[in-house]
Amino acid sequence: MTKKEKRSFNQSLAEWKLFIYNPTTGEFLGRTAKSWGLTVFPKPVTALEYSFTVSDPESYKGYIEDLRKFLKPYESEEQKNLTACSDGALFEQKGPVYSACQFPLPLLQACSGVDDPDFGYSRGSPCVLVKMNRIIGLKPQGMPRIECTSKSENTATLSTYPFNGVIDLKYFPYYGKKLHVSYLQPLVAVQVSFNATSSTTNEVTVECKIDGSPNLKNQDDRDKFLGRVVFKVIARA
Amino acid sequence: MGRGGKKGTVTPRELNPSPRLKRGPKMGKRRKMKRKKKKTDMEELKKEVVLVRTPPPSLVLLLRSGLSIRPWFLSTQGLSPERAQEILKKNGPNALTPPPTTPEWVKFCRQLFGGFSILLWIGAILCFLAYGIQVHYKEDSTKDNLYLGMVLAIVVMITGCFSYYQEAKSSKIMESFRNMVPQQALVIRAGEKMQINVEDVVVGDLVEVKGGDRIPADLRLISTQGCKVDNSSLTGESEPQTRSPDFTHENPLETRNICFFSTNCVEGTARGIVIATGDSTVMGRIATLTSGLVVGKTPIAAEIEHFIQLITGVAGFLGVSFFVLSLILGYGWLEAVIFLIGIIVANVPEGLLATVTVCLTLTAKRMSRKNCLVKNLEAVETLGSTSTICSDKTGTLTQNRMTVAHMWFDKTIYEADTSEEQTGKTFAKGSTTWFILARIAALCNRADFKPNQETLPIAKRATTGDASESALLKFIEQSYSSVEEMREQNPKVAEIPFNSTNKYQMSIHLQEDGSQAHVLMMKGAPERILEFCSTYLLKGKEYPMDDEMKKNFQNAYLELGGLGERVLGFCFLNLPSTFSKGFRFNTDEINFPMENLCFVGLISMIDPPRAAVPDAVGKCRSAGIKVIMVTGDHPITAKAIAKGVGIISEGNETAEDMAARLQVPVSQTNPREAKAIVVHGSDLKDMTSEQLDEILKNHTEIVFARTSPQQKLIIVEGCQRQGAVVAVTGDGVNDSPALKKADIGIAMGISGSDVSKQAADMILLDDNFASIVTGVEEGRLIFDNLKKSIAYTLTSNIPEITPFLLFIILSIPLPLGTITILCIDLGTDMVPAISLAYESAESDIMKRAPRNPKNDNLVNNRLIGMAYGQIGMIQALAGFFTYFVILAENGFKPIDLLGIRLNWEDRFFNDLEDSYGQQWTYEQRKVLEFTCQTAFFVSIVVVQWADLIICKTRRNSVFQQGMKNNILIFGIMEETFLAAFLSYTPGMDVALRMYPLKLPWWLCAIPYSVLIFVYDEIRKLTIRRHPGGWLERETYY
Repeated sequence: MTKKEKRSFNQSLAEWKLFIYNPTTGEFLGRTAKSWGLTVFPKPVTALEYSFTVSDPESYKGYIEDLRKFLKPYESEEQKNLTACSDGALFEQKGPVYSACQFPLPLLQACSGVDDPDFGYSRGSPCVLVKMNRIIGLKPQGMPRIECTSKSENTATLSTYPFNGVIDLKYFPYYGKKLHVSYLQPLVAVQVSFNATSSTTNEVTVECKIDGSPNLKNQDDRDKFLGRVVFKVIARA
Repeated sequence: MGRGGKKGTVTPRELNPSPRLKRGPKMGKRRKMKRKKKKTDMEELKKEVVLVRTPPPSLVLLLRSGLSIRPWFLSTQGLSPERAQEILKKNGPNALTPPPTTPEWVKFCRQLFGGFSILLWIGAILCFLAYGIQVHYKEDSTKDNLYLGMVLAIVVMITGCFSYYQEAKSSKIMESFRNMVPQQALVIRAGEKMQINVEDVVVGDLVEVKGGDRIPADLRLISTQGCKVDNSSLTGESEPQTRSPDFTHENPLETRNICFFSTNCVEGTARGIVIATGDSTVMGRIATLTSGLVVGKTPIAAEIEHFIQLITGVAGFLGVSFFVLSLILGYGWLEAVIFLIGIIVANVPEGLLATVTVCLTLTAKRMSRKNCLVKNLEAVETLGSTSTICSDKTGTLTQNRMTVAHMWFDKTIYEADTSEEQTGKTFAKGSTTWFILARIAALCNRADFKPNQETLPIAKRATTGDASESALLKFIEQSYSSVEEMREQNPKVAEIPFNSTNKYQMSIHLQEDGSQAHVLMMKGAPERILEFCSTYLLKGKEYPMDDEMKKNFQNAYLELGGLGERVLGFCFLNLPSTFSKGFRFNTDEINFPMENLCFVGLISMIDPPRAAVPDAVGKCRSAGIKVIMVTGDHPITAKAIAKGVGIISEGNETAEDMAARLQVPVSQTNPREAKAIVVHGSDLKDMTSEQLDEILKNHTEIVFARTSPQQKLIIVEGCQRQGAVVAVTGDGVNDSPALKKADIGIAMGISGSDVSKQAADMILLDDNFASIVTGVEEGRLIFDNLKKSIAYTLTSNIPEITPFLLFIILSIPLPLGTITILCIDLGTDMVPAISLAYESAESDIMKRAPRNPKNDNLVNNRLIGMAYGQIGMIQALAGFFTYFVILAENGFKPIDLLGIRLNWEDRFFNDLEDSYGQQWTYEQRKVLEFTCQTAFFVSIVVVQWADLIICKTRRNSVFQQGMKNNILIFGIMEETFLAAFLSYTPGMDVALRMYPLKLPWWLCAIPYSVLIFVYDEIRKLTIRRHPGGWLERETYY
């Protein structure tokens, strides 16, 4: 083999190396790093459509029960063994014992179920929880928050709790089911309040997205749940 | 059967010029009757053509020819144009009805729906059915089944088009053989000579032919002048035959006064009355017989049918059992049906049809390079299964060129050089006797070289004149000196040409020494020549003829004749000075001495065997192929050539030989003891089929001599009754029924007639028997290699099916999808499978017996067992290992995957938890699933490396076989690069849902690859160590 050939071989090898792992984009063999999936809670019977009648408690009883069950681990009684971590920074741990941060239920304010055991359903302004899928080792950059918008602005106003839909960095990274026992994933609640109460049926489509974090995607052609979620609320009088 | 009957006589009815008319009145009768009638017609056609006695004027003929009662056969006026027109209208044009050619679209459809394709079609239809069910009952169903169905359909169509194109290409080559120039005929109508198209010639026409013409119809000659015809296309007789108005034989093929449609007039002129035109001619009858013969399935077609049965059996078994299983597991009916269809379709080897077609095409190409042009692809393999070859002698086994083989002068037999390239030995050229012999041979000779061939070697130059004279001419030119100069220096002054009554030829030449004297030279049948002689020449000196010399002569004559050679005697006389220059010799009333000549010697000629033939026959023998010679030639010549080329091997003798050796009459010998036999055509004619079977069974070395080409058909059928796969060579029109009936008909490219080429499956471009043997070798090799290709292709079926099966029973995410399966079958597996067609033979394939079509199948249970049951299982393990590794690496432990299917497939379940508490959206899971499928696919590619290497051999170790097959190495590289390409090319995730893999995931399958290799090497080692042992019986395919 001549020298020249060797050099070009080395060059192409370098190109290959770049392809296999690109340190600037964090791509491995062309694969991108993982990202959060957003899901909503409670799970509606029909795909992502919360439909209920305000005057009929039976129609939303299921939602309320699901929410209560889901929020059980978040009650202060359950959280007393967890660490009260400092806000605004990643909570990186070296082990061997990993502690979980507290997520005080009152953060969810009107949707915490503390003041309103019906989570707003009986008043026609239902609460929906938006949660981030747990992914081991994922460290969000910047100030991640959940931004929710209604497709038709006039019909409803959206309130997000905690304030501004902020997700605190202290809940990350996640170390897995076995190591990170009783880990509580941070939640964001969205409350839909319809403006026109006169009409019999109110309907709104809500889109929630992760915002404020450069390494968290919220736009994927194929995955409609990557960093975003869309749901519809139909409240009959 | 016709052959069982006595001498078949054909009544005049059979010569009816209009078969349509003959059938006319019977049309109304019941169908059954008609069919029966047709059958007897066929039997009738198989018989020898024997005309009624034809001394003119035959009343029947007279009436039928539609002529007035005038002594028409003496007529010089011919038909009136109006009458001719009438007859033409009634009988139709004088042309052979072309055999019912299959329309192109039928041929195309046959390619599209025949054999293997049907399997794929059924698969495609099932896919569409499954898709239909899914669409009907579910709104958001995957389109996989639709795509699969379409891909299957496209594959069949492309392969169909490909093989149709291949065949069309071969038939195009065929067409180029055809002489498209419209033929003209010279007829006399109303006393006027006119050129008309051959098609317009009618029964009763008076026709004139001259040397070089094609005979326009069956003619009964009324006058001739030195007319000779070449009947070779009809009878296989290569010598031109004299024609005269005399009725000489009962057999119309032998009698001199009949010329046959589409034979050639070589020299002279003749005038005759047309007795039959078009389909009613002898030629036409043969053509009709040919197109009416029912041809059996080709062996490879039978093999593929067998294979389809096996595959269908496996598919059906798997499908039904998993159908039941899925019902037991609680799936709905609908899902179970979808599974059933899915499993059946998964068993269809999508790429195999294309692989087999390409392999056969490649071999066909290779064969045509070796001078075997194969007309249809399936014939490629048929040649390999051949167990009996019925070969012509002239032109196929021999050079088709009379050549001087021996000389006898000075009481010694000298051998001449008969090799094709003239590289043999020389002889005593110093003798004066040789000098004189050569001069006689050169001067008393009417043959001449055609002009403008000085550059060609002498042996290859074309000549005018008959075969023996040409042989002498070439021989003298080669071994003595220029004949032309000799003839210039010794001008011919008188001549008596050869005729069959004289049996000699005489010419008188002026001496070249300027003495003004003449010399009389004579050559002819040795016994005739000897009668003229009173002295003989020995070492240049004349001695009076004595008894000893006569005895020597007899011995030499017998010896040369016994070699099957045509012997000519030569003598001369120096005419006394009274006959010096200026004397007017009169050859009609002889006015010069023609006795007391001086005998010089004998020259014998033979059409020598082709150089490569003895080896080829030897190869056939070791390959267990019986070579039967079928020739129109004399038994002695036939036997001599048969011995010369090894068809009758050294040490084997016929009953006659045995009788001669034991000095007892032939009747006292036990014909069973004689392995060899020479059967005379006239004996064959009187034989029952049982007697023929007896001969074919009890003799290993058979020569049929003096046979008419029709008898070939009988011989072929006899061989087929013995269960043999018969290859037949033929060139004449008369051979075409045999060519068609044979399992593989081989026509001669150079000397063959168009009709024979039409009927044949294969065309031998160089007319050489040895090419058949190379063809057989190729055919056998491709059969072996197809086995390997199929074993290779089928193996990957198991890692393709098992994922679906486990998907059903374990409810795990689908480990291998439809697209990836297609990528294997139609992508990565393709080139490696085809590359096995280039594999060289493991052992000398020409040293084993031909395969027995009954039990040596292309695909047998053992092959399926090895491919599916053993190697395929290891491959599946490799795939699943990779699959579970990747899932585990991503958080899904195998145990947690069991039963996950319903949640996994739920589009709205976007926080599915894995074994580590991570949550996955539907799409993320799917990406993971498709990554696993890509990895499974890559694993199959990796284990197929090993499979390809082990499939190279069936018995030998790879270390014995070597890795010399570059195409195969290319195949391995190609499949690897293709797999990498499919996995890493950006955009593939959208196009084919294939995802890039981490490098270590490629390695997961490597141990399994090694395992496959080692496992199979051990298996083969055991087979080699214990031939015929349990392992061989169970696993050697």
